[in-house]
Amino acid sequence: MMINPVLLIAIPLGLAFIAVVFKKLQGWILAIGVAANAFLVFFVEKGETAIGGFKLPFAISLVLDDFSFIGVILVNVLTLAAVAVAFRKTEKYVPVILAGLAGLNGMVLTGDMFNLFVFMEITAISAYILSSEGRKPEQSFNYLVIGSIGSVLYLLGLILIYGQTGTLNMSLMAEKSALIGQAAMVLPLVLIFAGIAVEAKLLPMSGWVRGVLGNSNALTGVMFASVYSSAALMVFGRVFSQVLIPGTTAGVIIIVIALLTFAAGQVSAFRSKSLRQVLLYSSIAQSGLAAALFATGFVFPAVLVIINNAAGKMIMFSTAGNLEEKYGTDDYVGLGGAFVRNMPAGVAFTIAALSLTGLPLVFGFYAKLNVLAAYLNQGTFFVPAVVLAGTIIEGAYFIRILIKLWAPGKEGEWADADQSVGEKKIFNPAGTVVVILVTLLIILSGFLPDSVGKLVAPGGGLLGDEGPSISLTMEKGGDQ
Amino acid sequence: MNLNLVIIVSVAFAIAAYLVSKVNDKAGAFMTVAGSMFALVTVFLLRNSIGSEISFLYFNFNLTVTGWYFSLVMLTAYSMTAFFNPFWMKKLIYPAGYNFLYLLSMAGTLGVFFAKDFITLFVFWETVVWSSAFIIQMGKSRQAAYVYYVISAIGSMATLFAIMFAYGTTGTFVINEAFKGLAGYPGRAIVIFITFIAAGMAKIGIFPFHVWLPSAHGSAPHTFSPVLSGGLVKMGAFVALLSVTAFPAYEIFKDMASFRGIPLPIYFMMALGAISIVAGTLMAIKQEDAKKLLAYSSVANGGYILIGLLMLDQVGFAGGMMHIVNHAVASAAAFLSIAAVAYRTGTTKMSEMGGMIHRMPVTYLVYLIAIISMAGIPPMGGFVSKWLIFQGLADKGLIFLATTAFFGSIGSFLYVFRPLSAVFLGQTFTRDLEKKEVGFFMMFPMLILTLLSLLTGVFPNIFLRVVVEIQSAFGMLPVTLAENTIVTSNGFLDAFRVFIVFGFGFAIAFVLFVIRRKSRKVELMDTFTSAEFIHTRELLHYSHSFYAPFERLYEKAPDTMKLYHKAAVKINELGNMAESAFFGIRPARTVLLVMGMVLIVIIAGGVL
Repeated sequence: MMINPVLLIAIPLGLAFIAVVFKKLQGWILAIGVAANAFLVFFVEKGETAIGGFKLPFAISLVLDDFSFIGVILVNVLTLAAVAVAFRKTEKYVPVILAGLAGLNGMVLTGDMFNLFVFMEITAISAYILSSEGRKPEQSFNYLVIGSIGSVLYLLGLILIYGQTGTLNMSLMAEKSALIGQAAMVLPLVLIFAGIAVEAKLLPMSGWVRGVLGNSNALTGVMFASVYSSAALMVFGRVFSQVLIPGTTAGVIIIVIALLTFAAGQVSAFRSKSLRQVLLYSSIAQSGLAAALFATGFVFPAVLVIINNAAGKMIMFSTAGNLEEKYGTDDYVGLGGAFVRNMPAGVAFTIAALSLTGLPLVFGFYAKLNVLAAYLNQGTFFVPAVVLAGTIIEGAYFIRILIKLWAPGKEGEWADADQSVGEKKIFNPAGTVVVILVTLLIILSGFLPDSVGKLVAPGGGLLGDEGPSISLTMEKGGDQ
Repeated sequence: MNLNLVIIVSVAFAIAAYLVSKVNDKAGAFMTVAGSMFALVTVFLLRNSIGSEISFLYFNFNLTVTGWYFSLVMLTAYSMTAFFNPFWMKKLIYPAGYNFLYLLSMAGTLGVFFAKDFITLFVFWETVVWSSAFIIQMGKSRQAAYVYYVISAIGSMATLFAIMFAYGTTGTFVINEAFKGLAGYPGRAIVIFITFIAAGMAKIGIFPFHVWLPSAHGSAPHTFSPVLSGGLVKMGAFVALLSVTAFPAYEIFKDMASFRGIPLPIYFMMALGAISIVAGTLMAIKQEDAKKLLAYSSVANGGYILIGLLMLDQVGFAGGMMHIVNHAVASAAAFLSIAAVAYRTGTTKMSEMGGMIHRMPVTYLVYLIAIISMAGIPPMGGFVSKWLIFQGLADKGLIFLATTAFFGSIGSFLYVFRPLSAVFLGQTFTRDLEKKEVGFFMMFPMLILTLLSLLTGVFPNIFLRVVVEIQSAFGMLPVTLAENTIVTSNGFLDAFRVFIVFGFGFAIAFVLFVIRRKSRKVELMDTFTSAEFIHTRELLHYSHSFYAPFERLYEKAPDTMKLYHKAAVKINELGNMAESAFFGIRPARTVLLVMGMVLIVIIAGGVL
């Protein structure tokens, strides 16, 4: 029983309006909407579906291919997880979350460039409203301004491309743009990049991240860092690996900016003293890495990085948000020993941190290996060196946090549980269950990485990447 | 019984130890004893399966003699130290976590030594790193765990780079094949060699990566320091070994400039080992804390092991391999005896202790034999391995390295004697007058290790026969062993005969001791003061400021840790700059940046 992909957008959108009317049932509506989407995502019809009765390529279309399938699973399942962990915090934002979910699904599914703009706007508006939760109007306003600038630039770039190719349909544009010379494509490409870079947290449009994510709670932090981030990066991947493949000049510009984002993010995280700040800069760094991979054409490792980041940040931001709520601070020096009586949260956070650093036995290792292999197979060793240097720094700041949160005590004395900041439970039971489930997934996929690889590879192959550069379940001998 | 089962059962023991510890932490600690003894016995019995291969998920294992040798050393350290675990549970913030991580790291080391391909090696290596980091943080210093992890990460990431780079060139991860194809790429080969051996150097604690060792070994929980010093640094030795055997360094570099037959990249590493010997020795002499002193001695001994292994020749290599066993046993025994004293007195600061020989004679004996071995004095094992290493260095004419090795040997006598005199000899402090010897359960491992030290010294050929197998497996000319003697081009060593001679000497000295009059025991504060009042017992202990004149010679020596601090500060500053430049809140700056970017692109794009 295959359903039309439009339902993934229509259901949350419809429920959003119903939630405005039936305020008392908002909680139920949210739960039903999010759960339904996460469930239905596995039954959607694959292929390009035209909307509104028009014929392709003039119609707006929704494309569910192997690549967007990954994106749509990520978006819906992660939203379900985010809502489950922080259900009580969704009270005032039910319509916003549902509308945002519709927008996100639209962003990932759409096959039309202008439709993408529309859905990006819907998503952005829901993001602005969610960011106001942090009670920092100046930061939300800043986000609004940067987001609007980005949208305008995107539109400008789109107009230029439309003028040159005559179509807004993504697959058709992919064909047509290949025929246009590189010089003519550089400017529109950069403009469109600037537009998508806002949500994807890339330089120079990432000025909003510190204010918004730095004041997020367990719900909004997870939404921004996992859900919105994954969607934005998948869109980035779609646009720059399939639709508008950058030529040499634009490609170099994008890769340099992305790597700069990675490096800047890591060092900024290193000097941060606040837990949420460390996490948001780490997110920026991971976005930069994924963008660089997409721009080089390494789609498979990029998707692995996105999945790894989404899962890890989900756990970490919800923990950080809850810690801030319970103890009033997220300065991790002041939160010493918060995990002492909080084993599940602590273990989950630890596994997430290890996965983001790329340590073995968890999924992040597989992602890291593929990133390195993709470049070193080609003989490039500058980028892997940068990535590894960034990994050392990332490991350093995560371990610093972990040590602080697990082992309170003065230097020179044994670690002492009495010195911990408190024993408040970080997650409620439902949240604990969700977080443990995600942790188990991270560990399991660390032991059976090729299963994940097989799921992701077709998406990569669609966009020109031949698939895993490494196969880990090897025949006897341990090589590919 | 195959290797898969050993590792899986060890991990199962780890989980079981965690669960049992939640109910009763002493019982959980006893499970660590059971788990490590199980692993020790089963791996020992795997002797007959040497040469076979086995796989689990995506891990591939290869039972080699080398791996068997290393893992037995490691498991001895783990299992003997485990006997101390039950008595330290009260001090730990996470007793259950400690027991779990203890056995998990043990299982990890097994995976490292028996790995067939580099992915397996790396996965288990990193598992050991983070599980031991989480144990170290439970001790006296969080900073130590952090520094340990960061320096380890620097090494690991460099090695990962080397592995992946080699994979990109040769297309395989299998240890014995991955590097063989590099002969045709001399430039890459040097880069890969240097980055690959980095993890080994960081783990052994070779200069300039040695800064983590003193703080980590010194501040770790007392029951984990013996494992760190006796066991985990040997993992680094394993990588160093691979870097000259799996990576055929001598062949690949044979056309390079060389010094006395040793290619320069390898000689450079050996020189770093020599610097570690000197630095470790000198720093050890200065220490006031017994554990930190022993940690610095591990730095020095790591230098010996590295030099021996990298020589890859008949005699020096055998010495290096033998020293792995000797140092592991001696170091573990020394740390355990200090732990035993700490158990009774609650401190490891040497200035606060004295005269424990009267209260804890067995512990004293254990420590004494351990340091005799570490200093390289017959009839203990350390003498044999150092003798072999010196032979190798002298034969090759490596004057600088030989000089530092001899210096390290003499210096080691200085520093190992210090805790002996400070902690055990001299007069007992009043507060310790009622302390008793430790119980049998703690004495048992110490005695076993002492016997092992003696065994390696009196019958070294038992171990050297395995080393001969290893040497043959790597295509080297093995060291020549006769009945009970080791034959080299400079002469031969019959360790048993040496032991007999020492036995005679000891007997004569003992007889003299018994016959002659005993000295009168005087209390510490009972001393001539010319009517001054004395109240500080610590200052009156005869080992106070023991080596002050010598220490003054190198008081102003530079501290490598400062380099790392400076690097961290610089990265912090870089982060500050990045944050203010790129992640500021003012939209105006962003807009200007974007416009600038667009303008540049328009102009450049137009030109191009």
